[in-house]
Amino acid sequence: MPWRRAAALSALAGVALSGCAKPPPDPDALADFKATNDPLEPTNRFFFSVNNTLDRYTLKPVAQGYVAVVPQPVRDGIHHVLGNMASPTLLADDVLAGKPRRAGTTFVRFVINSTVGVAGIFDVAKHLGYPAHEGDGGLTLASWGVPTGPYLYLPLVGPSSPRAATGFGMDIALSPLNYVPRGYGLLTLNWGLYGGGIIDTRAQLLDQLDEIYRDALDPYATIRSLYRQHTASEVEAIRQDHRMTTPDWYTQ
Amino acid sequence: MIRADPMLTMTTRRAVLGRATLLLGAAGGLLLASRLPAAAQAQGSQADIAFVRSVAGQITSILNAPGSLADKRAKILPLIDQNVDVNGIGRFCLGRYWRQATPEQQQQFLDLFHHVLLNSITDRLGEYKGVKVTVGTATPHGPDESAVSSIISRPGQPPTNVDWVIHDVNGQPKVADMIGEGVSLSITQRGDYSSYLQRNGNSIDRLLAAMRRQLSARAS
Repeated sequence: MPWRRAAALSALAGVALSGCAKPPPDPDALADFKATNDPLEPTNRFFFSVNNTLDRYTLKPVAQGYVAVVPQPVRDGIHHVLGNMASPTLLADDVLAGKPRRAGTTFVRFVINSTVGVAGIFDVAKHLGYPAHEGDGGLTLASWGVPTGPYLYLPLVGPSSPRAATGFGMDIALSPLNYVPRGYGLLTLNWGLYGGGIIDTRAQLLDQLDEIYRDALDPYATIRSLYRQHTASEVEAIRQDHRMTTPDWYTQ
Repeated sequence: MIRADPMLTMTTRRAVLGRATLLLGAAGGLLLASRLPAAAQAQGSQADIAFVRSVAGQITSILNAPGSLADKRAKILPLIDQNVDVNGIGRFCLGRYWRQATPEQQQQFLDLFHHVLLNSITDRLGEYKGVKVTVGTATPHGPDESAVSSIISRPGQPPTNVDWVIHDVNGQPKVADMIGEGVSLSITQRGDYSSYLQRNGNSIDRLLAAMRRQLSARAS
């Protein structure tokens, strides 16, 4: 039940508000404090350690097993199918972000990959000049000028912000699968997609997270910085996207 | 650090080039070309591209050659000393704590930081065979730096976009930062150090000790 999940998340976020860090008196330290924009740091760090423990004993071994057992081409296929299933939500986000050409690319990708790409297993559209792009509710809100807000580290979800968490709720609301009449088949598909999505994402991050834990003195701060910078660059990529409707080979 | 706006710089550059062509026509002399800022900038960015191509080429040829990882890292370290502005990046990463550090602490920090950078750069290029760096174009990045784009492909992994930020130190081009998929190596490192220092009583000695521990854990 995605709705119930979202409700539980917002309840937890409410609990999190109680643990605040005090601004330091030193002016230099205060400047750092403001730049970091992490007033809930003590609570965030608590959830960070909870998530890490859960990850160490559950998700990481599953993701490692998945990478060890399932060959790369099959994993790529699964990754593509999951992306393709998320296309309707991405399309809505592209439209809401006021980027009709991005929306057009998403639509064409969905049509080509669902048919020629055999239910999304093969990313044929990429080779035809329609590469995939990032987009979610949080980025759509960003394109409307909504500021990111303080840093949040949410249980099970990970690095986030009020903007990204609201966007996450929007994406659940926008997902057409949540509006099809309920049945066991659909319920299984929905949970399968959700679980598959989590394992796929974790598997893609295996090397990167290992590197962070190996090299960073404070992995929490490093992940916070990486998340912020990456989100800012995705927002910038949407803002700078003035793509043509036709693929490159048509105009050249 | 704000990323240079590629579309905007393209347009301004085109405008500058257009104006340059007009001026050339009016002056009727090709000699002027070398004195024009646009032309100088174009030459500078060509030099930066060539520099990145040479550094990336040397590192990848070491990584792709046979031999143990330790040997390869030993070969890459002098390349980093030579081509990366280690001291500049190190000072930036220590931020406001650089001023608080004694000269000995600063020296110890920079010595350790050389090895930290080696790890960061090899992490970004990958420690595996078959890494390939395709160098793209240069765009201005801030007042006196340029960012050279590149695509790093490793077997079995999606290609990543990495920008190499280049500036001149005593007339020599040096790598000042690497920005992978919008994430700056030096800003990330700076956040890591400042957070560690804040949580450890702002003690630079404790930071140095932690850096030593981290490096020796990694070496073993």
